[in-house]
Amino acid sequence: MNRREFLMAGAAAGLVASTRFAAAATRLDMYTASDANISDFFNNVVKPAFEAANPGTELNVVIARPSAALDAVAQRALAALSAKADPQLDFIEQYEPMLPAGGIEAGLWTDFQKADLANYGAVNKLAIQTAYGLPYRGSQVLLAYDATKLPREKAPKTFADLAAWIKANPGQFIYNRPDKGGSGFNFVNRVVHEVSGRDPLKFKVDNFDQATADDVLGKAWAVLNDLAPSLYEKGAYTAGNTASLQLLAQGAVTMIPAWSDQVLQAIAKGVLPENTGLVQLGDLALCGGFSQAVVPTNAAHRDAALKLADFMLTQEMQTAVIEKLGGFPGVDWSNLPKALHDKYADVIPSSIPTFPSGEWTKAVQDGWYRNVAPNISRT
Amino acid sequence: MIAALRSGAMGGRLSGLLLVALPVALLIWLVLWPVLQAMVGTVYFPGTGFSIASYTYFFTDAYSLRNLWLTLWVTALTSVLRVVVAMPIALYLRFRTGSIAALVQALALFPMFVPSVLVAYAFIRVLGPNGIVDTVLVALHLPKLMSPYLTPAGPIIGLVWDGLPLTLLLLLSGLGRVSIASVDAARDLGAGSWTLFTRIILPRIQSSIIVTLAFNVLGLFSAFTLPFLLGPASPEMMGPYMQRTFSDNADPLNATTQAVITFAFCAAFGLIYVRAIAKGRKGTA
Repeated sequence: MNRREFLMAGAAAGLVASTRFAAAATRLDMYTASDANISDFFNNVVKPAFEAANPGTELNVVIARPSAALDAVAQRALAALSAKADPQLDFIEQYEPMLPAGGIEAGLWTDFQKADLANYGAVNKLAIQTAYGLPYRGSQVLLAYDATKLPREKAPKTFADLAAWIKANPGQFIYNRPDKGGSGFNFVNRVVHEVSGRDPLKFKVDNFDQATADDVLGKAWAVLNDLAPSLYEKGAYTAGNTASLQLLAQGAVTMIPAWSDQVLQAIAKGVLPENTGLVQLGDLALCGGFSQAVVPTNAAHRDAALKLADFMLTQEMQTAVIEKLGGFPGVDWSNLPKALHDKYADVIPSSIPTFPSGEWTKAVQDGWYRNVAPNISRT
Repeated sequence: MIAALRSGAMGGRLSGLLLVALPVALLIWLVLWPVLQAMVGTVYFPGTGFSIASYTYFFTDAYSLRNLWLTLWVTALTSVLRVVVAMPIALYLRFRTGSIAALVQALALFPMFVPSVLVAYAFIRVLGPNGIVDTVLVALHLPKLMSPYLTPAGPIIGLVWDGLPLTLLLLLSGLGRVSIASVDAARDLGAGSWTLFTRIILPRIQSSIIVTLAFNVLGLFSAFTLPFLLGPASPEMMGPYMQRTFSDNADPLNATTQAVITFAFCAAFGLIYVRAIAKGRKGTA
């Protein structure tokens, strides 16, 4: 074989191979803006299992952090809907179906009640907020503490207890900047709830108004500024959920707000000690929520995306959500092994308040930077 | 192309232009065009006309000004610290040879190969609360370190370490112009080390110090990772502030305004750099 023949044969083989792969793989574009533990879960657990169960389908996990980046992706999908173009998006692992504005009216998101998912009946009824989002995993912010420094029976059970504990133990509590991770954000939100009568339903995606915000948030900033001098380093704030966990692990602080899934994972991996205490406030829990997966109606691979949605509700994946992710299942506990329920009884919530994304979130996050963060007195 | 180069002055000019055409085109497309777009986009709004409201807002907003001020003084302090730390190492490496000098050089250049995210997390493990330094101090029955983590000192320490290699290389290239013969001659005439440094070495490397400072300022002004992970929540440096305005507040207009203002400061330092280079060329020619 001379050089020319070799090249031609190689090119022909390459052509055959490329068309073969192109024909075999349906590439499902899935987006996530969640922390690395979630994108790792999809890459390392869901992807191999889903691809094995559905030969010829490739799950492409696209990381679009922070969550505002996903807004742009969703707006592109809405624009593609009116232009009848390919949105290049098949599945979002967690998104607020109320956004973008007018999306549901335009028919952007798939109605899961009418999507004929085999496992939809198993979904926890309490977790369903809208038919356009599929709650497949949940997690909640709770307080994680060093049980060697704080006896379990003395852990705070109400917000008033918590505030008193923070002031009585200066330097032992820290939360992260609210825009950099949900644990600090939902701690701030809990303060917003505290000063507005502990009614999470007062805040909705579509009821933001500046006058209420100025009034309510002004009171919340006052509470947070009052706590600031008693925080770690007299008012320092970590740059994310993980950085707070690291300070707790290093014994630099005694208590932090933390996502239930991240703290359980950290304990399982030995990053935090076995005897790390976990407590939820009893008067009103810290916010959390179920992650709502959404599928655009105009997705190029909508059928495959719905298969993935159904697959996430199987017992295999729901067990993985609990064991590998430390999350709450999206399906009712009656569909899962009893032993699993008993093992996680401590963190199974009785209620999960939520805080709306969109305008309220922006007001809380930017307001915090302008009103709480600068008032640092290091004297 | 080579034939064209030989075919006289006219052809030489043409092929020279062709050689630089690609980088110049890339510069126009990827740098100058977006800069122009950003500048125009923040002052001219199709349909409503000209407005400098976003600039007025930035320069009257105490919060934004505090961030700009922090960026300026962190940049100034870090640039100076980098030169102060790198200078003795550069002098040592210029006038000494041997295996210890090679080791020092390797250690000083090491940060160049470490991504800044790793620097940040290593910093937290070592200098952070109850980190390795604290462990050692406690073992020696000494008081614990006042940890710089989450204070303005945090990013400064991180940035000094991270930027050491570039500073060192620039200073070394400048010191290459100081002849050993002139140093020996001064020493023979009885000059002490300090006189040697201020009268012989410093005048020769003045322009490299200016170049080093200008380079450092350009990099530091847009620093993101280290101020973000190691610094306090507020005031923010311009890098994290721009990112937050753009993606969290979904406010591209103000983010672009911040970027244009940042660019204006960097352009001023760029000018100083270009002048230093031009002056250096004139000096050697």
